[in-house]
Amino acid sequence: MAKKLLTALAILLCAVSLFAGGTSETSGDTYKIGFIGPLTGDNANYGIRCSNAARLAVSEINAAGGVDGKMLELIAEDSQGTVERAIAAYEKLAYSDNVVAIIGPVFTSPALAVGQRCCEDGIVMITPSATHKDVTAAGDYIFRTVPSDSLQSEVASHYFYEVLGYRNIATLYAMNDYSQGLAQGLVDYFTPLGGTVVDEQTFMVGDRDFRTQLTEIRSLDPAPDAIYMPDYTVEMAQILEQASQLGIDIPFLSSDGFSDPEIYDLAGDYTNGVIYVGPAQAQASQKYNDFAAAYSAAYDGDAPDSFSTNAYDATYILAEAIDRAGSADREAIRNEVAATTDFEGANGIINFAENGDLIASQGVYEVVDQTPVYLGAYQVQDGHIVQVD
Amino acid sequence: MTLPADLCLNEFNPYNGGTPVNTFTVYMQYIINGLTLGSIYALIALGYTMVYGILKFINFAHGDVLMVGAYIGLLTYQALLGDSTSASWMMLAFLIALVVSALLCALLGMFIERVAYKPLRNANRLAPLLSAIGVSFILSNGAAWVFGTQSRRFPYPFANNPISILGVTITPHQILIVIVAVVMMVALTFFVNRTRMGKAMRATSLDQGTSELMGINVNRVISLTFAIGSALAAVGGILASFDFRVYPSMGTMTGLKAFVAAVIGGIGNISGAMLGGVLLGILESVGAPLLHIPNAMKDTIAFAVLIIILLVKPDGILGKNEKEKV
Repeated sequence: MAKKLLTALAILLCAVSLFAGGTSETSGDTYKIGFIGPLTGDNANYGIRCSNAARLAVSEINAAGGVDGKMLELIAEDSQGTVERAIAAYEKLAYSDNVVAIIGPVFTSPALAVGQRCCEDGIVMITPSATHKDVTAAGDYIFRTVPSDSLQSEVASHYFYEVLGYRNIATLYAMNDYSQGLAQGLVDYFTPLGGTVVDEQTFMVGDRDFRTQLTEIRSLDPAPDAIYMPDYTVEMAQILEQASQLGIDIPFLSSDGFSDPEIYDLAGDYTNGVIYVGPAQAQASQKYNDFAAAYSAAYDGDAPDSFSTNAYDATYILAEAIDRAGSADREAIRNEVAATTDFEGANGIINFAENGDLIASQGVYEVVDQTPVYLGAYQVQDGHIVQVD
Repeated sequence: MTLPADLCLNEFNPYNGGTPVNTFTVYMQYIINGLTLGSIYALIALGYTMVYGILKFINFAHGDVLMVGAYIGLLTYQALLGDSTSASWMMLAFLIALVVSALLCALLGMFIERVAYKPLRNANRLAPLLSAIGVSFILSNGAAWVFGTQSRRFPYPFANNPISILGVTITPHQILIVIVAVVMMVALTFFVNRTRMGKAMRATSLDQGTSELMGINVNRVISLTFAIGSALAAVGGILASFDFRVYPSMGTMTGLKAFVAAVIGGIGNISGAMLGGVLLGILESVGAPLLHIPNAMKDTIAFAVLIIILLVKPDGILGKNEKEKV
């Protein structure tokens, strides 16, 4: 027993001494990058496309001479979309393959778990697809090339406060993750600006009568500047109609849920004047077209999805960071990823916020009669809203 | 482009041109809202109550007949209207659609009774109940299959501009709902109490066997009951669809609430169905704001009050204290 313990201790000591110092050994003339995502199972489509895009980027970079005089090597591990498998994949990549950085995990739950470990071990991680707002909260080593859910709330709050000049907003939302998340997001971002969420009205999923809630909002004195409804189309259609029937003249604001064109079938003439924050209109860029063509050529005519575009950009960002760091030092690479400025990716210009979130644009739309008019793409920079497009 | 903090501060019009908001008008508004919602429940509850009164059986497919009625009404209306925007033709097309839907639903109700309930009339009490649940699934899944699960909008056939009286707002549609519900209830009460067929209905409800011996065609009475109940459901469904939209599962929750309304009012009693419906509508509307509870809980409050009512009056408010046959 004692002998066994000693052996275990010896192995552990060896392991610790091997990896101490935060520098990974690069075997031969390569920098190793790990990828974690579902490559088998129900959600394999996401993981396979992301890993394909990362592999495409690596082969392009190597064809152009590699980074810092060395070749990049991508090691893709299967997470099956689960936390347990993702952690196992992480341990292999971090301790056995000695990767310098990780792309992934693809899903939120594995990203939360692996992110924690990356921060403890000091390995930079860039996820192309985990959107939950807490993903980047685990520490300084986590970045993402996909917009965080809280970004919409932030841009919306700033737009309502700074551009529209609203100070008092009432919210009307369903008791589900989507609507509750965005309603809470408004409280989180609108309040520090000096605005007030004066009333929060809730309803259950499936409710069809919102007159009680609307009557309560109508009775507010003074009346709120606007009503924010981050809900689904069927609900919003009825809210707009019933509000009009109650003689409510207060402007309505909404979220990306309003970008579904179904709303115009359901709400008839009542959509006029609604302002909503949703996805920014993607500009057709040469860079994106080149990527899509190369991807399609490399993978039997398959088309990349938005997450794989993010994975492609993440790989290039890492390559540039490694190049600038000029070594396999994990901390130096992390610092160079954080220092990324105005990176020109397939998704457009990429910058990271302090917390590692992608600084992305959100589109703002105003509905005229039954047609959404694009008011432009907006970002929050240095605490103020800026129109970027 | 960075915008200064208070650029383009939007002017907004406080509701109603700045009429002072007072608690009385707010609560009047809740009651008006509840009254119209409740009138829809009441219209549908009439169907539950009539069938129960005669067969002592709860027709769980009733809510789905309402949904079928709404689809028939919508499709007929759209087909008749075409591209026309003439106000009088819109109104006429709507009335035709209402009648067509009521007639077809009456036939559907009679057909369902004949196929799914009549063969089970002497079977175990649970058998027709399960059969009704089966019919309910067939109708709602069938509608999902034929029409898809998307909600559809029933456009107003008349200008539905709200009317404001002392700060309380009501729309022509809401007034129509209340009028239709009252007229239907009065007509039905007259029919049951003052006509030969109504007398036959009352007799059948009291004792089926004896009625049959007295020469009453019980099968015809039951068929007629289903026809009237289903026609009322169709009217209720169409009136509800302006507010609720038309979709395959629209009958489920509305039907359940109408059923509860029928029980609260005293099931088997026509005025009771009306009273129960309106009471449920008003409770739903006013309960949560009165108790300062989040409005997502409004059904919870309405149903909690209903439990209390049932504890005090188990037969419902206007229910007769008679021995249950079930």
